[in-house]
Amino acid sequence: MTRTLFALKLRLFRNGPHNERGFSLVAGLVLAALVIAGAAVAARGVIDEGWVLVALTVWGGMWLFGPLAQPRHDPSVISREWLRGYPIPAWRLARALSWTEMLGVGPLITLVCLSSLVVLATPRGPATVAIAVAAVPAQLYLLIWAGKTVAASAAWLLQTGAGMTLAAVQTAVMLSLSFAGWVPVAAWLLPRLGDGDTALTVPSAVRLPTSLTDMLTALPTGWGYSAVVPRDSAASNLVMLLALGALLHLVWIALTAHALRRSPRRAAPQRPATPGRGLPWPFTAPRVSAVAARELATWTRDPARGVELRTAWLTPLFMALIIGVTDWSWALPLAGPAAAVFGAMVAINTYALDGTALWQLLTTPGAIKADVYGRMVTWALLFGLPSVVLTAVLWAVTASPLGGVAVHGAISAAAVGCAVAPLLAVVMPAVGADARDRVYPGQQAGDPTGGQMTIFPVVLLAAGIPAIIGAVTGDRWWVTALATVLLATAVLSMTPTLVVRLLHQRGTRLLDAMASRDTATLRPSALTKG
Amino acid sequence: MIRADRWGNRRTVVDPSVPAVEVVELTQRFGPVLAVDRLSLSIPPGMFYGIVGPNGAGKTTTLTAVCGLREPTSGSIRIAGHDLRTDRDTALAQLGVMMDGLSLPERLTATELLRYSAGLRGLDDGWQARAGDLLEILGLDVVPRTLIVEYSTGMRKKINLALAMLHRPRVLVLDEPFEAIDPVSAHSIEQVLKQYVGAGGTVLLSSHIMDFVERNCRRVAVVAGGRVLVEGPVAEVTAGSTLNERFVELVGADPVRHLEWLG
Repeated sequence: MTRTLFALKLRLFRNGPHNERGFSLVAGLVLAALVIAGAAVAARGVIDEGWVLVALTVWGGMWLFGPLAQPRHDPSVISREWLRGYPIPAWRLARALSWTEMLGVGPLITLVCLSSLVVLATPRGPATVAIAVAAVPAQLYLLIWAGKTVAASAAWLLQTGAGMTLAAVQTAVMLSLSFAGWVPVAAWLLPRLGDGDTALTVPSAVRLPTSLTDMLTALPTGWGYSAVVPRDSAASNLVMLLALGALLHLVWIALTAHALRRSPRRAAPQRPATPGRGLPWPFTAPRVSAVAARELATWTRDPARGVELRTAWLTPLFMALIIGVTDWSWALPLAGPAAAVFGAMVAINTYALDGTALWQLLTTPGAIKADVYGRMVTWALLFGLPSVVLTAVLWAVTASPLGGVAVHGAISAAAVGCAVAPLLAVVMPAVGADARDRVYPGQQAGDPTGGQMTIFPVVLLAAGIPAIIGAVTGDRWWVTALATVLLATAVLSMTPTLVVRLLHQRGTRLLDAMASRDTATLRPSALTKG
Repeated sequence: MIRADRWGNRRTVVDPSVPAVEVVELTQRFGPVLAVDRLSLSIPPGMFYGIVGPNGAGKTTTLTAVCGLREPTSGSIRIAGHDLRTDRDTALAQLGVMMDGLSLPERLTATELLRYSAGLRGLDDGWQARAGDLLEILGLDVVPRTLIVEYSTGMRKKINLALAMLHRPRVLVLDEPFEAIDPVSAHSIEQVLKQYVGAGGTVLLSSHIMDFVERNCRRVAVVAGGRVLVEGPVAEVTAGSTLNERFVELVGADPVRHLEWLG
């Protein structure tokens, strides 16, 4: 059976799609080559070998918390639903399946990365090289099964009520580390930048603090390294790697066998405590008010939107935490505009998430215009206003000289995010499972990465424009304020009209795309066909 | 002429000489596939009208075009005299739509959905009494906190019908309203539709349930290959046999050879 599943896995690889896998392979090999190069430099004593340990710890972290364990929408994963129908004991099936999990880009690039241990061992003689050659597969075995077990546990948790928050926290941790993880390093190098002092503190980078390397070698991600470099406990480390790896392998088999025995359960959706009454929204027409009430309920109850909402709120708070523990507290108000950026990024796929419910808007006179403005009002309430308030609060707390600029940036970013998110939701829908088929966050809801990568620089630029104009015109506050007001007015008045027109023009094609889960009908070439 | 009803709402009185739905030479192509081929229908107001046909006959495509959810390749559609292409909003305002297999705002309860729909259409206060009636008659008032996404197929059909009727449209367009639902739910829907037609409304529906069509519809169109094979009063179309037998005769059924291995 293992051979059959291996053959199936290879066919899935061969039949593609290859774009994402190719990108991951090239990017992973480049990063692995950098680690090996670092190891080569460290082996000559130019830098501390501990830097290789840091790199290996980060790499291991990607297995536990990042994309290496279970790439999103990986079509090469053999479907559990498909296997469930076979009259084969679940435990046996899971055991055979486990060996196919070793195939993939993640294990390959990690193997290359871990070969840096052999590079580190080379100057220490053949005995250490032999230990390193044994440590590489042992460490790989542990990382693979740690990552797969975390992914399988997360998949189970996503079907529970806590799934939304769990998925949001994981994503927010990754995003905040990606966007603000550099701040502690920068604050270490430029500790007095907030006072205008750009003098670079050259750290003794050749040596890392012993306490740090001790801590990292104590982690399972550092056991392979500590078997090679200190070489004081090589045998026991190798045994621990293999034992913990085997234990996690067994846990994964048990979780998978459990999943194969029973179909995914339906988590209870978040119901209202009492059937809600329509909210009287000030300053909005009754139709817009109706849409805003629907949107507010959907943001809090839809599993995919619920994850995005929590992610967008948590990420700037985590970023503020990271910045707050450094000497760069003057940079804290910038977390506010960042909140607007994340709010825009999570709101660019709302039409695809609502799916074929679009038919109601297309068959109700005047509904499209109300829908666009209703979505904008809700976005402003959930993301726009909180980002401006967060900026103002952080300004008040830190008395940062950047506070005023940050508030203007937050207002501009909020205006642009509010207007552009519905536009991208129409122009770049990432269609996945229809709204009626999605009950818990783990179900595929379309991958909006393209839209997110598009809106990110747009809103970021908008956040910076008032500051740039202010700086160019001699730091006069009223110029910055005027630029903010003009930008916000222009984008909020023009963009919704464009979105309404686009929905009138291509709404039925968008509905077709969501019904068929095929966005090819929206491409310009298809639009020209009868 | 404008007249007030029991809720105090003003309604336009129907002109019986203007067809409720008029489809003229409707053609719909999907690339090389001709789904609907110069199909024409004229449905007078107050009519219970059925479209039957095999899978892929073009029924749903026709109804989708009638609802304005698909731009026809050629041909025209008028709803209560209003052209769907040139007078779209007025034409759509006459319609109540129930399409098969499409989502609703899934994270709302039935009451919230009807409130949302009333707000979206800008209905006056009378909608609340109508919503209460519809939820009660269709048996949806017993699950006030259940979200649409949790609904069974039958409950979905019922809330779709309530949604389609809330604004008291002149024409109901229903795609497969009885597909995959239990007899009790089907009975509820059937009774509501009878009342609607009895009060002067027009129903245009597609169905595979020949028994229902024969029992309730006054006229029927048998469609195959995107064209109308026969159209007329049900008694004329059936010509003495059942609609099911007549349907098989018109559409044709391939002989099924004996499967030796079953024996």
